[in-house]
Amino acid sequence: MPHHDVIVVGAGHAGIEAAHAAARLGCSVGLCTLSRDTVGQMPCNPAVGGTAKGHLVREIDALGGLMGEAIDAVGIQFKLLNRSRGPAVQSPRAQADKRRYGAWMRSRLDREPNIDWIVGRVGAVVADGGRVAGIELEDGERIGARTVVVTTGTFLNGLIHVGPERRAAGRVGEPASRALGESLKGLGLRWGRLKTGTPPRLDRGSIDFSRFEEEPGDRPPVPFSFLTGAVDRAQVPCHIVHTTPAVHELVRRNRDRSPLYNGRITGIGPRYCPSLEDKVMRFPDRERHQIFLEPEGLDVPEIYVSGCSMCLPRDVQQEVVAALPGLEHAVMLRPGYAVEYDFIQPTELTLALETRRIAGLYLAGQINGTSGYEEAAGQGLAAGVNAARRARGEGDWVLRRGESYIGVMVDDLTARGCLEPYRMFTSRAEHRLLLRIDNADLRLTPRGREIGLVDDRRWDHFCRRRARFERNLAVVRSARVREAGRTVDAAQVLRRPGVTLASLAEQGLALDVGADATGAEASSVETAVKYEGYLRRQEATTARTAKDEGRRIPPDFPYADVPGLSTEVVSRLGQARPDTLGQAGRVPGVTPAAVAVIGAYVKRWGAGKSREGSAAAPAGRQPEPKAGVAPLAASSSSRAAPAV
Amino acid sequence: MFASDDTIVAVATPPGRGGLGVVRISGPRAAAVAGALLDRARPLEPRRATVVRLVARSARGSTPVDRVVATSFPGPASYTGEDVVEISAHGSPVLLEQIVGLARRSGARLAGPGEFTLRAFLRGRLDLVQAEAVADLVDAVTPLQARVAFDQLEGTITGRIAEVDRELLDLTARLEASLDFPEEGYRFVEPGEVAGAIGELRKRVRELLAGADRGRLIREGCRVVVLGRPNVGKSSVFNRLLGACRAIVTPVAGTTRDLVTETVDLDGVAVSLIDSAGIRATADPVEAEGVSRARQAMGAAAACLVVVDRSEPLAADDRAVLKETAAAPRVVVVNKVDLPPAWPPASLLPGADAAHRKSAPGGSAARPSGAPAPGVAAGRVDVSARTGEGIDRLRGELRRVLVGEAGSRETPTVANSRHIELLERAESSLGGAAEAAGRRADEEFVLEDLGRARAAFEELTGRRTADDVLDRIFERFCIGK
Repeated sequence: MPHHDVIVVGAGHAGIEAAHAAARLGCSVGLCTLSRDTVGQMPCNPAVGGTAKGHLVREIDALGGLMGEAIDAVGIQFKLLNRSRGPAVQSPRAQADKRRYGAWMRSRLDREPNIDWIVGRVGAVVADGGRVAGIELEDGERIGARTVVVTTGTFLNGLIHVGPERRAAGRVGEPASRALGESLKGLGLRWGRLKTGTPPRLDRGSIDFSRFEEEPGDRPPVPFSFLTGAVDRAQVPCHIVHTTPAVHELVRRNRDRSPLYNGRITGIGPRYCPSLEDKVMRFPDRERHQIFLEPEGLDVPEIYVSGCSMCLPRDVQQEVVAALPGLEHAVMLRPGYAVEYDFIQPTELTLALETRRIAGLYLAGQINGTSGYEEAAGQGLAAGVNAARRARGEGDWVLRRGESYIGVMVDDLTARGCLEPYRMFTSRAEHRLLLRIDNADLRLTPRGREIGLVDDRRWDHFCRRRARFERNLAVVRSARVREAGRTVDAAQVLRRPGVTLASLAEQGLALDVGADATGAEASSVETAVKYEGYLRRQEATTARTAKDEGRRIPPDFPYADVPGLSTEVVSRLGQARPDTLGQAGRVPGVTPAAVAVIGAYVKRWGAGKSREGSAAAPAGRQPEPKAGVAPLAASSSSRAAPAV
Repeated sequence: MFASDDTIVAVATPPGRGGLGVVRISGPRAAAVAGALLDRARPLEPRRATVVRLVARSARGSTPVDRVVATSFPGPASYTGEDVVEISAHGSPVLLEQIVGLARRSGARLAGPGEFTLRAFLRGRLDLVQAEAVADLVDAVTPLQARVAFDQLEGTITGRIAEVDRELLDLTARLEASLDFPEEGYRFVEPGEVAGAIGELRKRVRELLAGADRGRLIREGCRVVVLGRPNVGKSSVFNRLLGACRAIVTPVAGTTRDLVTETVDLDGVAVSLIDSAGIRATADPVEAEGVSRARQAMGAAAACLVVVDRSEPLAADDRAVLKETAAAPRVVVVNKVDLPPAWPPASLLPGADAAHRKSAPGGSAARPSGAPAPGVAAGRVDVSARTGEGIDRLRGELRRVLVGEAGSRETPTVANSRHIELLERAESSLGGAAEAAGRRADEEFVLEDLGRARAAFEELTGRRTADDVLDRIFERFCIGK
């Protein structure tokens, strides 16, 4: 008899949401962490959100996850990015008080009766006949579970570099997990090595902030969570510094002392978050680079030097800091570092984030090659839900690309794999106009409610919000307003640049535009009317592709037997093992024509297999998924039973 | 791409050449699409070949296109298993393309390569062995093969499209960067430059499209009819041209139309040369039928050769033919120059130049730009069918009228209907993007249309790389805090 339904390994951003989601679904959860003091740590940027990342947080919130409420509770500076641009690319971002963030998360998890803490270091995932059975701590203790979610971040064989210094660690001061990494590799999971980095931290007291350009927060702040009425808190500013040719020269001169440039680091780093070394070496023509000084909290001394991650030796880092105009006397509390770590190629996973090789084993977060707290949290929520459902004998729950950024991310990861740390961008979402921060709840809260993630309080709040939305939209679409002596369609007026729902209400329209700190309520109506044509077009595109997205490819489908596919395509498909025909089309190198042929053969092959009475699920027999229902709900039937 | 709930159309017989060609329409709306093309009140009876006029309907009425044999095969007992209508028309590729075009206008979509067979397979009309042949066929459009074939056929065009595509990618990358990286302190793109840049790209796609009809003529051939009153030497000119050109098939004499057709290769342009009955006012019903068929052939022809006799005074019938063809692409062939002239060369052919100028088949952009070869008045060539004098010049002039200067080997041309459709899609999306950028719409809406244009290019070139935009951003800009 297992001890838990679900064990979650790691209590970072992925692990928190995984444990919380599984607990919300009624499972008994063991949440395993090295220390209860490091729950929800922010080892890098002390911030949540940003372009596309803010979208992820809104989606996590809409589904009943924790991240949005947490950052609203402890944020110390809020900004809506892209405020002057269109509705689909606006995204919230906030500076967090790091300590309070972790504390908020821990107390929230403590209040979940279904969560038990397991404090210890996991040495192995225990599998039995292709099925997960639990975990083994490094001290040898075995803890049984029906399903396991591994969210170990950068801890798998983590190796920290500061100049010539090297230390096996997952985060600074915390030893790496070597045994667990070997255990996962021993299960046959393909892996790779990535690199990321973090900048030095400076002592707030040693900096004269009056010398810098100030970056204040928004007034009033736009919160992340749909449940947050308003963020009523004093905000602290960030400050902007620029590098100089002298700084660049310093970096160039010491290039050979950076592990990034002397061959000691082999892991691949993110191009969108280059180290200072990379900035200087790869873009020699740029005269200066922008650096933000971000406070890590209200009552902590650390200042995070955003945009200045590096792994030069300590002495050089100190010189670099002192060379930054205005930081001549700044005291470096700790140096920046680079960390190399192992990750599991996410092509090993199904769309439910379950490993194909070991049934019941789920992976989420940086272990899947992603970077960012928000990306981790989104995966954690999805993996937690699926692990819980599997533990209870229910089918997979998959968010589609056309309905969420989480769906885009999971689909990208599992179909394409990772060559560098994966960060979300709005340009990754081909249906971007439909996936906005203002409608995250309209898109996803009903999906979360269906499976039990969304509690009554959120659901009631949502139902009222949705009713207002529908009512307001109906009013705008049917009403006419007086204008210069004649009447005009209200919708026509709203389509004009600069006209808002509020200005229509002032003209006497019976609109229900109450206090709404997120601005989502007005924005949903305005966008639906102003951009109706564009939205219709993208909806039509999603509907066209929905068929392929719903057509399953059996896990053991023999691509090599399909005539006309190139060897390269066969090998890529064999590795990615796309769950659906739609996903097959996103595997690099696979053309629409190849997808059509595969589709034809999947049908044939499935029919042939079912005539032979094979256990494999014929794709042709799968019922067409209904809109709004988990499309892969029947997939568990296609998995081979464990040979116990 | 291979959604199977819509109705598709394509020429089902091999391209170019051939007495008959079959256009196949398949899908739920097959009967309706066919109904829109056929001049017939009642629906076609299932599996009964029916002779019927095929017409082009427009606001101004309907114009006859061809007399065809149409057969309806309701599903599932049809080639694809869906409702199918097959239309057998006369085999000119130009005519068949026209019919396909009409069907598309009536709601059918141009079939992808191998799509009829694929549908047949999907509906269980073909077995696995047959289906493997389909797979090979469909596979012929995978990127590498498609690109190789594409390059071989019209090398430069890929280059032109790739150039436009590259600039489109660059513009897209800069716009995307401005959205995804708002806090970098970069100006990725100047708001004022966007509409102009898109307009420039659109212009270049339009230029490619302008050459499209001409390109199709080069690849898929066209009809040229030889006209003139009796005894001016039409058949002699016809035979001389055959001798001077490389004959592709043997003459098909006594076709149902009483027209003699021969397909020849005019330096790369496949031409179905049609020798007509002499055109003149006549009371003889048999001859009258021949005359009417000659006129009909003229309607479907890409150009005509009007033969007149230099050794005899111009007759009323000559003038009638000249007048009748004045608006059509044509070459006036002044025959029998080896005999003493009966009329001065310059005086009697008013309108020949003007008619020529406005009527080459690719529209204005396909117009030949240079002057005609020496010894040839524009649109008019002096020959002697008896001695062969001037026949080479006639070939050159006919080719010029059909496809422009020197067959435009240097000017890239789009020749394939699929490519044209995709370029049209790209052009229209760029139009939408230019419009949105022009009124300073938010970038994500401009990008929506740019994305559609890029998708069309991707389908055209077989390149599919979703991460291209991000790659381009990271390559060009130092991004990241």
